Amino acid sequence: MIEVHELSKRYGETVAVDALTFQVKPGHVTGFLGPNGAGKSTTMRAVLGLDAPTSGEALVNGMRYADIRHPMHQVGALLDAGAAHGGRSALNHLRCLALTNGIGSDRVAAVLEEVGLAGVARKPVGAFSLGMRQRLGIAAALLGDPGVLLFDEPVNGLDPDGIRWIRELMRRLAGEGRTVLLSSHLMSEMALTADHLVIIGRGRLIADTSVRALTDRYQRGVLVRSPRAAELTGLLERAGASVTAEPDGALSVKGMEVAAIGDLAARHGIPIHEATPRTASLEEAYMELTAGSLDYRAGVR
Amino acid sequence: MTGILAAEWLKIRSVASTQHVVGAVIGAFVVGIVWVFYAGSVWDDATPERQAVFRAASPEEGFLPIVQVALGVLGVLAITSEYATGLIRATLVAVPRRPAVIAAKAAVVGAFSLAAGQGVVFASFFAGRLVAGDRTMGFNVAPVAGELPRLFASGLSVMVIALVGLGLGAAVRSTAGALVSVVALLFVLPPVTGLLPAPWNTWVSSVMLSNLVSQIAGEDMSFRLGDGALSPAGALVAMALYAAVPLAAGTLLIIKRDV
Repeated sequence: MIEVHELSKRYGETVAVDALTFQVKPGHVTGFLGPNGAGKSTTMRAVLGLDAPTSGEALVNGMRYADIRHPMHQVGALLDAGAAHGGRSALNHLRCLALTNGIGSDRVAAVLEEVGLAGVARKPVGAFSLGMRQRLGIAAALLGDPGVLLFDEPVNGLDPDGIRWIRELMRRLAGEGRTVLLSSHLMSEMALTADHLVIIGRGRLIADTSVRALTDRYQRGVLVRSPRAAELTGLLERAGASVTAEPDGALSVKGMEVAAIGDLAARHGIPIHEATPRTASLEEAYMELTAGSLDYRAGVR
Repeated sequence: MTGILAAEWLKIRSVASTQHVVGAVIGAFVVGIVWVFYAGSVWDDATPERQAVFRAASPEEGFLPIVQVALGVLGVLAITSEYATGLIRATLVAVPRRPAVIAAKAAVVGAFSLAAGQGVVFASFFAGRLVAGDRTMGFNVAPVAGELPRLFASGLSVMVIALVGLGLGAAVRSTAGALVSVVALLFVLPPVTGLLPAPWNTWVSSVMLSNLVSQIAGEDMSFRLGDGALSPAGALVAMALYAAVPLAAGTLLIIKRDV
C-alpha cells in the first residue's frame, strides 16, 4: 500500500508536484501516467525518501520510507536503468545491494535467473544493452521479495519480447497480492497492463480511475451507414437516440446499442451497410485528459 | 551496519579503478627501490670525499605523492562514481539512513588507504635500507627507531587524503571537481603559502597537509620555512581535522540534499 497525501514538491519557482493525493492498493497493477515533466518521477522519488517533499507526505505500508529498517524486504524500486557502475559485474552489483539488507547470495542467483540474466551475471554492466539494464534494475527491485513495487518507465528500451515479459511479470506480481505502481507516458502500454490508473499533469491529479471506468466514460456511440440515412435518423430519434450526421454521410448514434439499431432498421426494412460501436481508445481519452497540461508541445499552427 | 560495511567493501573490490590504485601504489614502491639502486651506483662511483657528503632522498618520502594522489582518487571515486552512474539512488533506496552509508564508506576507504599507506611507506623504507646496505647515502644514516614517527605520519597522511577525497566528493558530487580540490590542497596551495611574507609563510605553511607529516615527526618543515608552528600533537590534531571537516560537510550535504 502506497499513500500519497497532499504531496507538494517545489524546486525554486518550479512546482513539480502540487498537492497530490492518491493511494495505490495491493492486488492490482496501478498505472502512473502523465506527459513528460508531469511529476511522476519526482513523486516516486518522494515515496522512496530520495527527495524531501516541500509539504505533505508519502507513506509506504503506513511508514515514512526513511524509517523502514531493511526496506528492500518491503519495497522494491526500479528508478533508472542506467543506475549501476559500468565496470562492475551484474552479480556484484546485486550483491552490493543485497548485503545492505541481509539478503543472501542464493536469492541474488535466483533473481538473476528470474530476469534472464544468469548467463551474463559475471559480465560488466557497461557491456549491457538498455534492455539488459532494465532487467538488472528489475532484478534489484525483486531482491528482497517485497510486497510493494515501484517501476519508473520499465519498458523503455525493451524489445517486444521484453515488453511482453514485463507485462506478464507485473500482472503476476499484482496477482500475488503485491502493490505494483508502474509509471509510463505511454497510454497504449498501460491499456494492456494496468487495472487502475492515476493520471497526473503538471504535478496535479487529473484522474484516479479504473481502466474500465475510463473507457466507459469515453464511449463515442455507434457509427451507422445506410443508403436511407434520413429515414433512419427519424426512426432513431423517435426511439430516443441522439443522432448526428458525419461529414461523409454516416450517422453517429448515441444512446442506443448496435443490436437495437439493427433490429429497428430491420423492422422498417432499411438496409444497414455498417454499424460500428465506437469506443475512444484509452490513448484518445488520455490525450483529451492531459491536453491542458502539456509542458512540451510541438508547435501547432 | 556490518551488512553495509560488507557492501561497501565489495563495491571497492569489484571495480577496476581500485586495481589501478593498487598498481600505482606498487609502482611507487618499485620506482623507490629502482631509485635506491641508481643512487647506490652513483655512490659506488663517487670519490670518498663525495661519499662523505652524499645525500639522496629516501624512497618512502620521494615517491609518497604518487601514493597520496592514488588513494585520494580512490576516496573521491568511492562516492562520485555513484553520482556519475546514478547508483547513489539505488544505494540510498537500499539504505535510507544516509549517515550510515557515508560512515561505511569512510570506514572502508580509511582502512584500505591506511593499509596501503603504511604498507608502502614501511616496505619502501626497509627495502631501501636493505638495498643501500652499508653505503652512507643520507636517508639511511638515522637509527630506525628515530624514523618511526615520520614513517607512521607518512602512512597516516595517505589515509587522511583519501578521506579528504571522500568528503569533498560527497560535498561536490563531481569527480573532476573533487579531484581538482584534492590536488590543489596537496600540491598547489603549499608552495603558494610558502611565498607569503615572513612570518606568515611559516604560520600558514604549518597547517598545510603536506607539512603536517614533518611536524608530527618533530622535524623542520623545510630549510627555508624552518620549524612549523605546530607541536607534534597539534599537527596530529590538524591532520584529524583535515579528514573530519570535509567528511562532516559531505555528510551534512548528503543528508540535506535531494538525490
